Amino acid sequence: MIVPLTAYLIVGAILFAIGVYTVIAQRAAVMILMGIEVLLNAIGLNIIAFWRFTAPTDYSAQIFAILIITIGAIEMAIGLALVMLLYRQRQTVEVDAYAELKR
Amino acid sequence: MSEAFEIVAFGISAFIAIAGALGMATTMSMFRSGIFLMSSFIGVAGLFILLTADLIGLLQIMMYIGGFLVMILFMVMVMHDPGGAMMAGMDMAFVERWFSKGLVPREPPHSGHSDMHADHGQEQRAHDRQSHAMPQSNAGDHRGHSVHHDEHADDDDQSMQDMDDSGHEGHAAHHGNDKSGMDMGGMDMSMVTPVRPAAAWLAGAIGVVLVSMLLLRPTWRVVNAMPDPDSARRIGQLLMEKYMIAFEGAGFLILIGIFGAVLLARPTIYPDDASRRARVAVDKKPEPIAAEGLVPLAVPDKQAGQHEPHQSEEHGA
Repeated sequence: MIVPLTAYLIVGAILFAIGVYTVIAQRAAVMILMGIEVLLNAIGLNIIAFWRFTAPTDYSAQIFAILIITIGAIEMAIGLALVMLLYRQRQTVEVDAYAELKR
Repeated sequence: MSEAFEIVAFGISAFIAIAGALGMATTMSMFRSGIFLMSSFIGVAGLFILLTADLIGLLQIMMYIGGFLVMILFMVMVMHDPGGAMMAGMDMAFVERWFSKGLVPREPPHSGHSDMHADHGQEQRAHDRQSHAMPQSNAGDHRGHSVHHDEHADDDDQSMQDMDDSGHEGHAAHHGNDKSGMDMGGMDMSMVTPVRPAAAWLAGAIGVVLVSMLLLRPTWRVVNAMPDPDSARRIGQLLMEKYMIAFEGAGFLILIGIFGAVLLARPTIYPDDASRRARVAVDKKPEPIAAEGLVPLAVPDKQAGQHEPHQSEEHGA
């Protein structure tokens, strides 16, 4: 454990920032899903790092990480289904074309 | 685990994770972003394994790599420009330029409409570039370009379908983009929204705030215990005992998610507007044929008089 906890947390923070940038700046729905995956990854990394450094004998954190991976997989499946549905209707995957609920 | 090895492994994994995520966020090619995201996941899985969470690392690789292969497939199917070759000539920040290195701009950015030849082969692309070099097809001279195009279509197998199209409107229809009423010439082809600089500043601010908070905070109380090297067994026991409700809930969530995904993405009877119209036109009940009675023949002779009741019977029927 020569690498401190803060190093892992900094990696998680940078991943989180990149995910936020992707979710805001990307235009295609699939890319926004990718940004959400990066956000979930950052969260999982934080949880595992905290588990390893503060409570290594309690394995609940890994179960939480498994649940996060599950949620990510389901989110991706539902998101891709939504993208396919919207693509069939609008013939585009860019989220600017989905702004009808705003009106 | 020796200390130098741990530091080197952490450095490599963290670099792969961050550089992959950065490349995913900034490259202009969607295919590349999928690959970059896979590499980012592998880097994070390396960090997990370094944190002695082997099971989570393996799960990470298995779930996400498979999932993102599917996602890349979706992008190639669905996206307008998965290779990013149209955006390659646009103005980009330094990072974007670096991560988009090697993308050949298919067209110079000033020729708006001819961006539409997205699905032609390499040969065709080279030909496009050639014809741009020619003086006869300058910027904005689409006519010369498309004529040239149709000449070339004879020997190109892929552009056989374009031969019946006349010019660029046909290409637009071929891509299906005219249905949403978008003019491809005026459309912003970029993969990112115009708020990109603001988003970059916001994300940078979030990152700086998080990192500085982490650095300024006094360190957490670190327990120096070593977790069980056979942690997968412990996790399995926890899943089956203490967190069984959560486990079952996750399973139920997956089931419902599958139902939802199938329900959303199932092939409907109306795949799009055109076929819906066609289907409705077919389904409509045929109009009843107006019963126009036969005009009774005014025949003077007797034979016709014999047939007359018979004829009226037909009228009734």
